[in-house]
Amino acid sequence: MANTEVTRDGQQAVYVYEGSLRLWHWINALAIFTLIGTGYFIGSPMSSVPGEASENFFFGWIRYIHFSAAYIMIAGFVFRLYLAVMGNRHSRELVFPSFTSRKWWAGVWHELKWYAFLTKEPKKYVGHNPLATLAMHFMLFWGTIFMIVTGLALYGEGTGMGSWQYEWFSSWVIPLFGQSQDVHTWHHLGMWYIICFVIIHIYAAFREDVMSRQSMVSTMISGWRTFKDNRPVDDDTD
Amino acid sequence: MPVINTPNGFTLDDTGQRQVVDPVTRIEGHMRAEVNISPDNIITNAVSTGTMWRGLEVILKGRDPRDAWAFTQRICGVCTGTHALTSVRAVEDALNIEIPENANSIRNIMQLSLQVHDHLVHFYHLHALDWVNPVNALKADPKATSALQQQVSPRHPKSSPGYFRDIQNRLKKFVESGQLGPFKNGYWTNPAYRLPPEADLMATTHYLEALDFQKIIMTTRTIFGGKDTHPNWLVGGVPCAINMDGELAAGAPINMERLNYVKTVLDQSLDFINNVYIPDIIAIGGFYKDWLYGGGISGKSVLAYGDIPDRANDYSASNLLMPQGAIINGDLTKVHEIDHRDPEQIQEFVPHSWYKYPDESKGLHPWDGVTEPNFALGPNTKGTKTNIEQIDEAAKYSWIKAPRWRGHAMEVGPLARYVVGYASGHKEFTEQINMVLKALDVPVEALFSTLGRTAARALEAQWAAEKQIYFFKKLIANIKAGDSSTANTEKFDPSTWPAETKGVGFTEAPRGALAHWIRIKDTKIDNYQCVVPTTWNGSPRDSKGNIGAFEASMMNTKVERPEEPVEILRNIHSFDPCLACSTH
Amino acid sequence: MQETFYDVMRRQGITRRSFLKYCSLTAAALGLGPAFAPKIAHAMENKPRIPVLWLHGLECTCCSESFIRSAHPLAKDVILSMISLDYDDTIMAAAGQQAEAIVEEIVHKHKGNYILACEGNPPLNQDGMSCIIGGKPYLEQLQFAAKDAKAIISWGSCASWGCVQAARPNPTQAVPIHKAPGIPGNVPIIKVPGCPPIAEVMTAVVTYILTFDRLPSLDRQGRPKMFYSQRIHDKCYRRPHFDAGQFVEAFDDEGARKGYCLYKVGCKGPTTYNACSTVRWNGGLSFPIQAGHPCFGCSEDGFWDKGSFYDRLTDVHGFGVESNADEIGMAAAGVVGAAAAVHAGASIVKRMAQKGDKE
Ligand code: HEM
Ligand code: HEM
Ligand code: NFV
Ligand code: SF4
Ligand code: SF4
Ligand code: F3S
Ligand SMILES: [Mg+2]
Repeated sequence: MANTEVTRDGQQAVYVYEGSLRLWHWINALAIFTLIGTGYFIGSPMSSVPGEASENFFFGWIRYIHFSAAYIMIAGFVFRLYLAVMGNRHSRELVFPSFTSRKWWAGVWHELKWYAFLTKEPKKYVGHNPLATLAMHFMLFWGTIFMIVTGLALYGEGTGMGSWQYEWFSSWVIPLFGQSQDVHTWHHLGMWYIICFVIIHIYAAFREDVMSRQSMVSTMISGWRTFKDNRPVDDDTD
Repeated sequence: MPVINTPNGFTLDDTGQRQVVDPVTRIEGHMRAEVNISPDNIITNAVSTGTMWRGLEVILKGRDPRDAWAFTQRICGVCTGTHALTSVRAVEDALNIEIPENANSIRNIMQLSLQVHDHLVHFYHLHALDWVNPVNALKADPKATSALQQQVSPRHPKSSPGYFRDIQNRLKKFVESGQLGPFKNGYWTNPAYRLPPEADLMATTHYLEALDFQKIIMTTRTIFGGKDTHPNWLVGGVPCAINMDGELAAGAPINMERLNYVKTVLDQSLDFINNVYIPDIIAIGGFYKDWLYGGGISGKSVLAYGDIPDRANDYSASNLLMPQGAIINGDLTKVHEIDHRDPEQIQEFVPHSWYKYPDESKGLHPWDGVTEPNFALGPNTKGTKTNIEQIDEAAKYSWIKAPRWRGHAMEVGPLARYVVGYASGHKEFTEQINMVLKALDVPVEALFSTLGRTAARALEAQWAAEKQIYFFKKLIANIKAGDSSTANTEKFDPSTWPAETKGVGFTEAPRGALAHWIRIKDTKIDNYQCVVPTTWNGSPRDSKGNIGAFEASMMNTKVERPEEPVEILRNIHSFDPCLACSTH
Repeated sequence: MQETFYDVMRRQGITRRSFLKYCSLTAAALGLGPAFAPKIAHAMENKPRIPVLWLHGLECTCCSESFIRSAHPLAKDVILSMISLDYDDTIMAAAGQQAEAIVEEIVHKHKGNYILACEGNPPLNQDGMSCIIGGKPYLEQLQFAAKDAKAIISWGSCASWGCVQAARPNPTQAVPIHKAPGIPGNVPIIKVPGCPPIAEVMTAVVTYILTFDRLPSLDRQGRPKMFYSQRIHDKCYRRPHFDAGQFVEAFDDEGARKGYCLYKVGCKGPTTYNACSTVRWNGGLSFPIQAGHPCFGCSEDGFWDKGSFYDRLTDVHGFGVESNADEIGMAAAGVVGAAAAVHAGASIVKRMAQKGDKE
């Protein structure tokens, strides 16, 4: 492996997450937290602010921040798709999981057993473990697409007919869901879907940091994966 | 069918020629009438069928009671608002909510404006063509028309010969186009039309004037309710907050500018009723005053719930400006009290209606009412299930249920209200009645007829136009006294409600006594039943064979040409039927 | 271009002689005498007013009521001078057979040249007999009149979407016009939703067709772009309060009296496509929000079934229960969070046990 080093204590370390990917990860995480916070208050606004309407823009700001974070998330997502094609092997996993590989599915099964306390030891991975990949692919990757599509459809309602958001998204998304109110509802439900992912993801990240056979949180910070034993890795190498 | 004597005093004989009118037009909704006509052209048997059903009572189950007004308002767009008002009253009754005084005044103005509007539109646009022949108006001399106008209504500004000539020319052009539009295929050569051309021209002109004017009457509701038709209401009061002198009053629903607008409309409405509607009724009535058919059960059994509470939250008869009571068996000396909660008083029957009850020999009080459709035809139906040529009235034959008050079929509506008012000594109503009787030089019995019904409606429009102004003044006085509250929202949040409760709300809708009964369970509607004016009037027979008011009104009427149903239309139209209401 | 009556009759093989006879019969039927016959003939040789059949299904007649409230143009002028309203059971003089005969006549004489205006919708349950016209299901009249129409106008939310009678559980199986069986696919349908639609919007749609001799351009859902391309919210006069975060919290509170935004008491202006905040109602006088009531989305598909009009969040139906997105989401997130917590606990226990093993 080209990007393999040996650490001071003699263990192997692999450079898994390129800087660009890590940057995306943390910016995206920040955007999502922002979107959840502002999105919730768009749905259930806080108490009114006093004073002249013309001197206040409180709710306007909440929405403005939501939309700004949304565009950051969208730009990040496009960038992430680019990485999935141009980046290293690990950057492909999230977008194109190895659905066709038996070994990969066996890995999913093994991880499930690991989480159910049915097996003593997890497998060892350089990249994501298959169960994590599965969750990320379906909950985050598709969840993000769903939020972007419904979000842009809602946004296009404001920018109106003729705007790209309206023509590319609102024009077909709204009739697809029934009416605008339904798109709001699904976008809102989408938030909770993403929240569920975030809970699972963060929990799993910390747990695996402790319990798995490789490093976790530090990897998403430094990019380097280190291991707790020297046995061979179980990654599915296609 | 042999000759049948109904318990409410009619002799039904179906041996004569059967004549079907389907659709009955110039009504709201869909209705069918079948009559038997004797060789000497007298109607000897009458069958009225409500031919639509939408299932609102079924749809309301499980909904938020605070939304019910919007659903029930969509029962009808002609008496728009009266169901909404009835509904918020029922919910407020169930939840013990008291509304502010201003809300009561505003609701009354809205309800009264409906009376004014609905009656005016009914007379000119739904009923007039039974009496007025627009084609005959082409033969009129505009000068003579002008003279007639000035004679019957000296204060109406639009009365010059030139004005009538212009209208007549427009009419001429219209007729010459060969495209008669709504007047196509009318019965214009039927001798039942008796007006001289001048009166026809005057009335046709007012048909057009009223069409232009009616849209103004209801704009008070646009101010208070945001739009008309189907304005907005609120459980606990009215949605339109008042801000007379405060910050941002310009953007408030009610401010000085809005109130000024309302005032202007109220004044114009009263003028129009006084200068056009009332004089026309007397003028046209004068040519038909010996056409005294159509009384039906109006001289026997009439029912009024009363409405227009003077002070807020008191729905007892003494606080209602419209009279409450029932008269039965033609005994005008006794006005019976009404209790909507008494399970013995108001009940609905379905043996002749397209619904299913566990036991159809019994009636159900609306709190325990059941609405389950069951479309089925009797064995003597002619035609097929989806192509009825002749209905079998011995079996189920209408989408309308049969409501009864202590077992009696009752007539409701303006005439019923005026009869109850007259019998109970209601001063304003009695004065108005005496005025018309005198102007037409007819005895009080003339009231119990198709024309009586039509005249009572006009009187009521006048009364309502005056009362609107009364409540407007009351609203101003109350605001002046420092009270600008419009809604009580203490119990708006469903978490404050009891687990189970029930209520009833009532109004006098333009077409008569209306009430909604609601049961609420776990903050949702458990049962919702409406008994509607046209349900009373258009009712089919009940288990004892009593016929309803529509059928009774057609009985014993003489028709000029059996194949041209103008007399049937006259009788039925005099009730201002609303079929969407009746079946809901 | 529209044909004249005379053209139509000639096309149908009627001779000039019988045409003139028809004119004198018409005059006679009206009791007007022979002097009128040539005038009628003259009119019929010139461009006629476009015939309109206005059918009523299951509805509340509010759309008609709204129509007659039009201030510009006046309903009177539309009915008497612009169109030929040959059938409308709410106002027509004729009844019964004489009324029904008109539908036949117009469909045959003006094939492809009349407008079908639909108020309300047909039910399919009860053999279609929960709406009967002339002893038969309304659906049959609708199908008959639709097949040769130049265009169909679906008035109001009933005809456009189904509206109140189609609200859950739709006991009559009422369907909007475009979903009714037997409606030809090649006849354009213009939806003018609203419960009811704004009067001036209704008359504007009609006069646009007459003035420019073409149908208005429609959006993907078949609504005229000119009136339905914006939401109430986009032009609402309370919008500055929305942006400022100034909301009515309860009816008749301080905010209500100041005209604050009605979003928190359930306003559906942000999701409702209609012209209320621009054209406004009854000659531009007001609209629901101006009178202090939240918009409840009366021009939107299925607006009756989205939960209370006073809730900001929509009800989601499923699994036999009704709840909004936050209730569902919080429940789901709660389950996931609790599962994670329990799992964390179990993991700690296991790890301690393992450590114990090693020592
Ligand atoms: C993780 C991603 C996101 C989350 C959790 C999120 C959350 C939410 C929530 C909860 C709402 C309130 C919905 C309601 O009840 O009406 C909302 C509204 C909205 N979101 Fe998002 N959103 C996300 C992404 C996006 C994206 C990518 C866009 C794209 C521009 C977007 C645009 C909007 C718009 C336009 C609204 C409506 C604002 C309004 O009605 O004033 N959102 N979002
Ligand atoms: C909204 C919040 C977050 C989202 C949406 C998110 C999303 C993701 C995604 C998509 C990946 C896969 C990276 C890739 O292959 O492209 C990932 C990996 C990772 N994330 Fe997050 N993340 C979030 C927050 C966090 C937080 C707060 C932490 C740590 C405390 C964290 C730790 C990690 C770690 C350790 C990995 C690497 C997992 C592995 O190597 O298998 N994430 N995250
Ligand atoms: N019948 C009836 Fe109504 C009235 N008036 C309602 O309650 O018309 Ni539609
Ligand atoms: S759309 Fe609404 S207003 Fe129009 S007929 Fe239907 S229920 Fe009535
Ligand atoms: S009142 Fe309704 S439409 Fe107006 S700004 Fe507020 S949410 Fe939007
Ligand atoms: S409820 Fe309807 S009338 Fe307009 S403001 Fe909303 S669309
Ligand atoms: Mg009922």
